[in-house]
Amino acid sequence: MVRSFFVVLVLGVSVLSAGCRRGGGSGSEDGRDGAGSTRLVLKYQPLWGPPEPFRELLAGFERDNPGVTLVTEALPNSSDLAHQFFLTSLEGGAKDFDVLVADVVWVPEFARAGWIADLSAEFPPERLREEFLPGPVEAVVVEGRTYAVPWYLDVGVLYYRTDLVPRAPRTYAELERFALDAKAKVPGIQGYVWQGRQYEGLSCNVFEALWGHGGHAMGENGRVLLETEAGREALAYLRGLLVSGVSPETVMGFGEEEARRIFQEGRAVFMRNWPYAWSEAQKEGSPIRGKVGMAPLPTVSGEPGFGTLGGYQLAVNAHVSPERRKLAAKLISHLTSPEANLVLAVHYARNPPRAAVYDDARLKESSPFIAGLREMAERAKPRPVTPYYNLISDVLQSEFSAAVAGLRSPEESLKRAQKQVDHLMGEGR
Amino acid sequence: MTVGPGRARGSLERERRQAYWLVAPAVLVLAAVALYPILAAVWLSLHRFILVFGERRFVGLGNYAYLLGDARFWSALGNTAYFTVVAVGVELLLAVPLALLLQRAFPGRGLLRAAVLVPWAIPTVVSARLWAWMFNPDYGLINRLLLGSDINWLGAPGYALHAAILVDVWKTTPFVALLVLAGLQGIPEDLYKAARVDGASPWRTFRSITLPLLKPALLLAVLFRSLDAFRVFDAIYVLTEGGPANTTETLSIYAYKTLMRSGDFGYGSTLSVATFLCVVVLAAVWLRLLGRQEEAR
Repeated sequence: MVRSFFVVLVLGVSVLSAGCRRGGGSGSEDGRDGAGSTRLVLKYQPLWGPPEPFRELLAGFERDNPGVTLVTEALPNSSDLAHQFFLTSLEGGAKDFDVLVADVVWVPEFARAGWIADLSAEFPPERLREEFLPGPVEAVVVEGRTYAVPWYLDVGVLYYRTDLVPRAPRTYAELERFALDAKAKVPGIQGYVWQGRQYEGLSCNVFEALWGHGGHAMGENGRVLLETEAGREALAYLRGLLVSGVSPETVMGFGEEEARRIFQEGRAVFMRNWPYAWSEAQKEGSPIRGKVGMAPLPTVSGEPGFGTLGGYQLAVNAHVSPERRKLAAKLISHLTSPEANLVLAVHYARNPPRAAVYDDARLKESSPFIAGLREMAERAKPRPVTPYYNLISDVLQSEFSAAVAGLRSPEESLKRAQKQVDHLMGEGR
Repeated sequence: MTVGPGRARGSLERERRQAYWLVAPAVLVLAAVALYPILAAVWLSLHRFILVFGERRFVGLGNYAYLLGDARFWSALGNTAYFTVVAVGVELLLAVPLALLLQRAFPGRGLLRAAVLVPWAIPTVVSARLWAWMFNPDYGLINRLLLGSDINWLGAPGYALHAAILVDVWKTTPFVALLVLAGLQGIPEDLYKAARVDGASPWRTFRSITLPLLKPALLLAVLFRSLDAFRVFDAIYVLTEGGPANTTETLSIYAYKTLMRSGDFGYGSTLSVATFLCVVVLAAVWLRLLGRQEEAR
């Protein structure tokens, strides 16, 4: 805690001082400072890791564009807080930043609100579809127009203990059998840990189960459709994991870190999590080092499952002048190039959204783990792409939580969720 | 000469006008900081208002009609009422003996009086974070103290709300105890002396003298605490954010989530207005009881 506090403090101070040094405080409306150079502001969340490679990436842009000074400003690490920041500042017509990061679920919302610029001219949707993986493209193209460019991605995957199960399970039935067999052999071990606390992570787990049962959540005219056969099966499956003892009752209080700690201590056979848990598990001194495998999530049919898409995109603040917008689009193009994808992957363990980067020899050489994620990254799927997602996510979390806790049947939970979602989305959808 | 009464009336009129001028600033301030926000919330609650998309449409009582059929609202109201009744009840039960103890003269009393205030002095967000760690099913102190128990305090419906109540009781019992202590010190010593002369047992003294004379202080404590508990937000927000399955969601949390997280200002305001009305009714009932006490004296 104390350490991370200092990291944040140091980061904050360095960002501030960088801002002062470069901007010199002479911030006029169009962002030109005394020397006649343009000051371009990038608002993003800290990448952690060593600062030099990213700084070098930014310096490359300044070299290619003489007269432009780049300033970076840090956002809170929590996605919720960052969203609240943008909600208030963009609603107020803020012009003090040009390029911003956006979580996957914000893009349709910000686009609908008119806060981020249409980038279809610079990044036509067809070109994005050719170069990027399908999941992230689906999240940034709203009604046929491009509003953001994928920067790095995250995807839900299954971790398993290679010493306790014969291979990665392909179906839900296999997962349950393997878990119960291992539990019978190793006393005190838990089966399958995942994220069951009432928060967005639970929704990710539920959507994965929904897709794994062959369902989807988008109906006609952009309606979010929850009351489906696959929806009921998905919730019944998650509840069933607790009832049958495949998962401990405590998953109802788990977020990512709680699940990871249990798995890392060698106290669970399977875990659903994001790829970040891999390097922790394989760290020197980790009790499960060398005994961990990673695979796509299982499904009913045995086809590799879809993992929920996470990660960040870069977008342009629609409130800034057209001239600055053009420059901002150039910066996005620079930061999302194959080279930039590689820098972020190698130095910051951020998974590339560009398909070709996974075949790059340099990536395979220095980060074989990320190169091996390709199959899962290809099957990263966005949660319902609707401007109303943030509006309804709270309802989804609470009703999913009720079904997982066994307070209400899956039918009842979905019925209640559907009613509230329809009310919230109103006729606006 | 008939000027007298006329002049008197004139000066009375002037005095009255002066009085209006004198209270005007206070009234204005109150109107600006209390009345205006309340009226604005009521006005908002009659709209469908999604800030992000600039959707704003008058829907009359539509939000209130939806509220009546909103199962989540009723369960939040139930949680809030349960939290208030149990938390305030337990606090009173613990605070009275604590106050009696603090009233006795013994060495180190001053220190103890100051020490009991520590939980009350810690910011709720901080103490709730501490408790969240203590409640952790795997690493927490509580399960370790209950040797080998694996109760999922904050994750299991049925336990989580009680865990939140425990945190509230821990925090506010000292405050209630101090209110009761103030009441105790208002009871004349002679009454106790007389009771002793008459040979009354300690229990009899407590029931016939202490308790009746303490009633106004107890009612006041209940008034403060129940209004506070009914609007509980911070402790629960830190402990569970209303989960699991909304079993710890109170009215304030529901209103906050609807307003700030979902950005639905219309329905969020409806929830705020509903909470406000509940608190007003509660306050009216207690003030009435308190007033009756005063009259009876």
